[in-house]
Amino acid sequence: MATWKKMLAVVSMLCLMAVTLTGCGGQKASTGDNGSQQALKGGGSNIIYIITPSHSNPFFKTEAEAAAAKAKSLGYEVKTVSHDDDATKQSELFDNAISDKAAAIICDNAGADATVAAVQKARDAGIPTFLIDREINGSGIAISQIVANNYQGAKGIAEKFVEAMGEKGEYAELLGKESDTNAGVRSSAFHEVIDQYPDMKMVAQQTANWEQTEANQKTETILQSNPNIKGIICGNDTMAVGAVAAIKNAGLAGKVAVIGVDGSDEAAAAIRDGSMVGTALQQAALIAEMAVEQADKYLKTGSTGLDEKQLVDCVIITKDNVAKLKTFVYKE
Amino acid sequence: MKDKHSLAMVLLKGRTLIVLALLVIFFSLATPNFLTTNTLLLLAKHVALYGILAIGMTYVIITGGIDLSVGAVVGLAGMIAGGLIQKGLTLEFAGVTLYFDVPLVVLITVAVGALIGWLNGIIITKFGVAPFIATLGTMYIARGFAMLHSNGATYSNILGNAALGNTGFDFFGSRILGIPVGALILAVIAVVSAALLMKTTFGWHVFAIGGNSKAAKLSGVKVNKVTILVYIFSGICAAIVGIITASQLEASHPASGETWEMNAIAAAVLGGTSMMGGIGTISGTIVGAFVIGVISDGMVMCGVSEFWQMIIKGLVIILAVIIDQFQRNMEAKMALAARNEAKKEG
Repeated sequence: MATWKKMLAVVSMLCLMAVTLTGCGGQKASTGDNGSQQALKGGGSNIIYIITPSHSNPFFKTEAEAAAAKAKSLGYEVKTVSHDDDATKQSELFDNAISDKAAAIICDNAGADATVAAVQKARDAGIPTFLIDREINGSGIAISQIVANNYQGAKGIAEKFVEAMGEKGEYAELLGKESDTNAGVRSSAFHEVIDQYPDMKMVAQQTANWEQTEANQKTETILQSNPNIKGIICGNDTMAVGAVAAIKNAGLAGKVAVIGVDGSDEAAAAIRDGSMVGTALQQAALIAEMAVEQADKYLKTGSTGLDEKQLVDCVIITKDNVAKLKTFVYKE
Repeated sequence: MKDKHSLAMVLLKGRTLIVLALLVIFFSLATPNFLTTNTLLLLAKHVALYGILAIGMTYVIITGGIDLSVGAVVGLAGMIAGGLIQKGLTLEFAGVTLYFDVPLVVLITVAVGALIGWLNGIIITKFGVAPFIATLGTMYIARGFAMLHSNGATYSNILGNAALGNTGFDFFGSRILGIPVGALILAVIAVVSAALLMKTTFGWHVFAIGGNSKAAKLSGVKVNKVTILVYIFSGICAAIVGIITASQLEASHPASGETWEMNAIAAAVLGGTSMMGGIGTISGTIVGAFVIGVISDGMVMCGVSEFWQMIIKGLVIILAVIIDQFQRNMEAKMALAARNEAKKEG
């Protein structure tokens, strides 16, 4: 009796496995059907979904608003949602977009690896996705991936930093969240420039997780253990602004050169009053508008006529041109 | 035998202080600039933020509750203070914008913190919702309002305007006789709340509720009223921290204070507060807060990566609680031995 039961269990297990495997096979076949050659038609409605991280960060807010305005002017209905940097929530939002029969999805994604499946899901449903600001680890799945050239921007502002330091002296670095690709890219671009100067010496390096309070406290502590610091390089502007407050508090205002990346309004104010050397502006609004224009062109003609991966150069902002910067938009 | 026991007990009871001393000695040897007045003042300034939260949290935990909303209240309080200074209060129906001077701004902000604490207390006592759930809910609500307040934007440069008579907000981030104001506020709150807890009937009631709330009720303690007051106190502490951070940065960001409730709980637990309620001291909590502060500041000065700081903080917390259990068992054993001895003599 017992053996009979075991046999039954094994057979049913095998059946289950067979079903699962066929399921997989079926899915793969359908992916092949609308492969990269054939243009995606969109889900059928006139809605463009704009999925970004939390609007509590003005950068993402600007990006979402710019995309929404552009899409409305092109005659689309717009739905703006936020995934709060949670890949699971993002996947649910993609599901919503699919069941809403979205025409296209514009997405600033929640993780280079975790997003691939969600974009593929939209593709299988015939909906093209246009990625902005952050790339994913995979090509041929999204239609466009338009990102700021972090590497060029960080290198450009690092050059201004070296200039401000007079090519010599001790400095510290505040890193972004180390699990974020951009943190690594920006840091290595900084060092590619700065490390060419033998008299520039990094005496402290700490992560402040892109955060203002943390950057403020860590800067205070670093200044304490390294009183000779003449400069601080920061992975983003939020941390740079925190560092500036710490420098002021330590009575070193104007004596320590600070740089950041992003181009936020707070950084612009600090650059104007001389407490920051400069920042590299990521043209959030421009990138978002490009993505919507390409989505429109793709839906109408079946092609964007451009490469999937596109880099948009950063604008180096210093005291000389800071007046032209407002809410991540640079106007000549 | 008895002497050996009592020596061990003294060491056990002072363990957090011993750990703190060891950490300070270690970091003084590891980095030359650690044991300087200025570093220690900075340390006090950093510790003040979650130390004040931890004092409120200690009261709450002693009653057997928990307050997860404090971090969000820090964010909301900063936004309210920053907003009142920068934008004033616009009364739509009257068509006027009111600007308040700094003391009044502080008073309003603290009142909002108290209001959220009061809400927590009401939800927990009158509606019987578990503290964990009630304060989880108010955490989201407070954070949501903080975001809504400015639509997610930061208020920067909240220094006030001399023409509007609301300058001076940077006071809470400044120093008096070289001592950071935040640290002074921590000291004042610590002394007052320790006296309240140890020397007054109110304090005795707080312990009674955590020890056995039914017995407390039967012996005439107004359990609901005291519980609500405790949550109001925690909310006020959080609002004060919100004001201090906003003042230190001269900016308020709606996401500020995220996960700070965890540091507050950690400091209380390190200081020997029992999550079961009924046990805890303010002095222990302050020492616990300084242990966390020394670990994070010391490791930054040594140039150790933050990931190690997280691991070590976690290990220290778990170790502290294990020793706590050990101490409880030992105390129980000693009490038993004493009783047996008394029996024998009798």
